[in-house]
Parts: sequence; C-alpha cells; structure tokens
Amino acid sequence: MKVGTIALNTFKEAKRDRILYLLFFFAAVCIVFSRALAILTVGDRVKIIKDVGLASISLFGILMAILMGTGLVYKEIDKKTIFTLLSKPIHRAQFILGKYLGLVLTLFIMTVLMAIIFLAVLFFHTSQVEWPMLTAILFIFLELMLITAVAILFSTFSTPILSSIFSLSFTLIGHLSWGLETLIKKMKPGTGRTLTRVLYTFLPDLENFNFKTEVVHGLPIPPKIFVYSTLYGVFYAAFILGLAIWVFRKRDFI
Amino acid sequence: MKRISGGFALALFLVATCAGFMGLKLETDKILRKKIPGSSIIYVPSGKFLKYAAFGYSGLAADMIYLWAIQYYSSYEIADRFTYLDHIFAIIAELDPRYTDPYEVGSMIAGQEARDIPLALKILDRGFAKNPDMWLFPFEAGHIAQTQLKDYDLARKYYGKAMVLPGAPDFTKRLYANAALKVTDYKTSWETWLEVYNTATDDRVKKIASNHLYQVRAEMDINALKEAVAKFKEKYGRLPEELSRLVGAGLLASLPKDLDGQDYVYDPVTGDVKPPTMWWKR
Repeated sequence: MKVGTIALNTFKEAKRDRILYLLFFFAAVCIVFSRALAILTVGDRVKIIKDVGLASISLFGILMAILMGTGLVYKEIDKKTIFTLLSKPIHRAQFILGKYLGLVLTLFIMTVLMAIIFLAVLFFHTSQVEWPMLTAILFIFLELMLITAVAILFSTFSTPILSSIFSLSFTLIGHLSWGLETLIKKMKPGTGRTLTRVLYTFLPDLENFNFKTEVVHGLPIPPKIFVYSTLYGVFYAAFILGLAIWVFRKRDFI
Repeated sequence: MKRISGGFALALFLVATCAGFMGLKLETDKILRKKIPGSSIIYVPSGKFLKYAAFGYSGLAADMIYLWAIQYYSSYEIADRFTYLDHIFAIIAELDPRYTDPYEVGSMIAGQEARDIPLALKILDRGFAKNPDMWLFPFEAGHIAQTQLKDYDLARKYYGKAMVLPGAPDFTKRLYANAALKVTDYKTSWETWLEVYNTATDDRVKKIASNHLYQVRAEMDINALKEAVAKFKEKYGRLPEELSRLVGAGLLASLPKDLDGQDYVYDPVTGDVKPPTMWWKR
C-alpha cells in the first residue's frame, strides 16, 4: 500500500518533468523522420523505418530512464524532503521500491505512446499492423526496467551527473559484454580465462533483450528465450534494487 | 536485532538474485538465436562521413572496424562475407590512411580467401596512393602480380615503383631486373643487374648478380644465334654443321661467347643452341 502511494506520487512528479516531454518529442520526431530516411535508400524502405523506429524507442527510453531515474532519490535528499518522508512509518526499502515502480509506470506509458506512433507510421507504409514489432518493444521495455533500477542505485549515493555517466556506462557495457565471449575463446585455459568467464557471466548482457534484428528480418525466435530473458531481466533488476536498498539503508541523513 | 536480521535477509536476497541472473545468463547462452551476421554492413556509410561522426577518434574507429573485420572474415559460415570487403577496407583507409596493417590483411583476404586478385591489387593500390612513401605496398602488389597472375610486366611496374622508395630493400631491385628479363626487356634487365653487381656490398649478392648477368647475356646471344641458324636454313635448305658457318655466310659479324669466354654449345642435328654452363651453377 505504502509502496503504491509512493509510486503514484513519483508518477505524478515525473509527469510534471519537462525533460520527459522533450525526450518524447524528439523520439516522435525521429520515428516520423524515419520515413524521410527511407526515401534515401535503395531497396527495402520499410526495413529502414523499422530499424530507426525501434532504435528511437530504445534510445530515448534509455535517456528517459537515466535522466529521470538518477535524480529521483537525489532530489529528495537535496531538497530535504527525505526527512519528512522517513519520519513517517515507511521502510527505506518501500521508499526505493515505490520510487522504482513510479518511474517504471511512467516509462511504460511513454513506451506505449512511442509504440503507437511507430506502429502508425508503419501502418501508413504497409497498410497492416505490424504486431511482431511489439515483441521487440516489450523487451526494450524490460531493458528500460533494468536500467531504471541501475539509475536508482546510483542515485542513492551519487550526484545526478555522475549517476547518469555511470548508468550510461552500464548500458554500454551491457551491449558490448558479449564481445568477451570472443576473447574467452581465444584465451588459453587457466585462471585468466576463468576470471574472464566469471566477469562475462556477471556483467549485464542487454543483448538478451535485443530482438530488433529478429523482428525486422522476420527470423524465428526460440520461445524458450522469451522466458529466460524475462527472468534474467527480473532477477538482475531485483539484484540491483537489492543493492540500492542496501546502500540506502546505510545512509545517514541526520 | 531486527536490523541485523533485515540485513541478513537482504544479503541473502542479493546472493540469491545474483546466482539467479548468472545462472539464467548461462542458460540463455545455450539457446541458439538466428542471426544475420554482418547484415548491418551495407548500412555503414563511407569513411569520409564516419571520419566526421567519429568526433576526432577516427584512429580508434579505424581500430574498432579493423578488429571487427578480422573477426568477421574469420567466420567461415558466412558464405557471402566477401561482398563488402572493398567497402569495409575503404572505410578503414579513410578513417586512418597511415594504418598499414589493414591494407596488407585486406589484400591477403581478397587474394587468398576470396580469390579476387584485382581486388587485392586495388586495396594495395589504395594503400600506396595514401602512403606514397611506403615501398611495401607496390612490393606486395608486384609479388601478387608475379606469383598469382604471372603477369611479369605488371610485376615489373610495381617493383619499379617500390625499388626507388626510401627504405626499400635491395631485393626489390633484383626482382625488378628478373621481371624485366621475363618480359624480354634485356636492356633494362642487364642494366639493373649491372647496377646491383656494382653496388653490392657482400659477395653473395655480387655472385647472384653475376650469375643473372650471365643469364641475360646468354639469352640475348642464344636468341641472336638461333635467329641466324633459322636464316641459314632458309637460305641453304639445311642446318649449319657448326656455328662458325654463320659468320662465313655473312649472317653474323663474329661468334658471340658467354660471359666466361666460352663458346655456346650447338647441336647440328636439331639446330638447338645452349649455354656451356647453367647460369645458377656457375
């Protein structure tokens, strides 16, 4: 109940944030602009629209998650409103979870709106609703949920600028960590290889949520991976939120 | 007490979730996902554009694309991986024109893997155009022209460009002289081997040059002798009994001798002329 109230308040607060609308505006412009880019290509125009549209939803969604998530807890501390909140019978874990769910709700609504624009632009070209695109969008949203958790974690102990840099780095690492597999294959068996493998398993693999290529090219996706990727996202986000709660519990505000 | 138990529960939660996502990561890795390897290559814009987009990190961008290219061209399951070979290595050349490895490796992939010799030469030509002070590119191109195309005239042109550049090793001149001999440009070959002989600082190279001078001279003389023998046969309807008859018939001013002063060996039955010594056995 308390978590729900905090989440609802966070959502109301996020609605008032101008940066949210600014990012949404740019995302909409990019999705619509994909039509202009498609004109420049030779061959399949719809592919360009799909690629640019999905990339815009992903990129601007990440920016929303990071730019809003990194300020969530910090602002409460900076404006001293945290004292009023924590003087109430609220557990710190409830506070973090509430903040997280509030932002996730905001991002969900934004993703839905961006998806509607994207599907409308596609409909204009193909005269049919491209339902398979929703698979990719759903997993983009899962990725956003994880990045939001990361942004909140950094927000509990760092300034918004540093938190943004850290969260962006997390995203980059998450999309590049698969490259470690190539390195592991080239390494000789031993401690170095074992440590690299542990690191590879521990580092986030955001490619688990990347189904853009598959849906654009109409490739079959093994159903099993939907389950595993979803669980992976849930477990990783839970781990990060657990860390955020742990850090937040250790903080002394008086 | 409550705080401690809360902390313990949280630690337990962290360990469980960490183990959970690490286990899931290993499981998801086992699931094979359909991919279109390299499907994005055709969308990579030209190097000129990327140079601006790299925001001053064009060297780093070149490194990254080169590293990626190495991995990509090592994937034998991609049957059509050579389609954009030129495009990819042209991008690297635009991003970092002085980066020599991609020219060499690119030409090697084109020549050895894709069996596209013109493309291999094109990549090396690009390297030379962007690095006109580097002898390596025309040398490599000459080597490809000589060994794979068997086009000695083309090889001679490339070696000719390489040997005049600073730092070019002596053997480029020797290869040039050898290619000139292959296309029967005896004058150039003789002059180049003579230069090698006169400028050689060690006995081994001097001996090599001397043997090749012998070879050039012998080929020139034997050609002249065979031509005279053919004319003799045309005039008298038979082969000469010995080479001195050619002088008597007014077809030669005098009989040539090899570089060691020995007479050439003549076979009156077949009309064939051979050097008294094999040039590499001198």
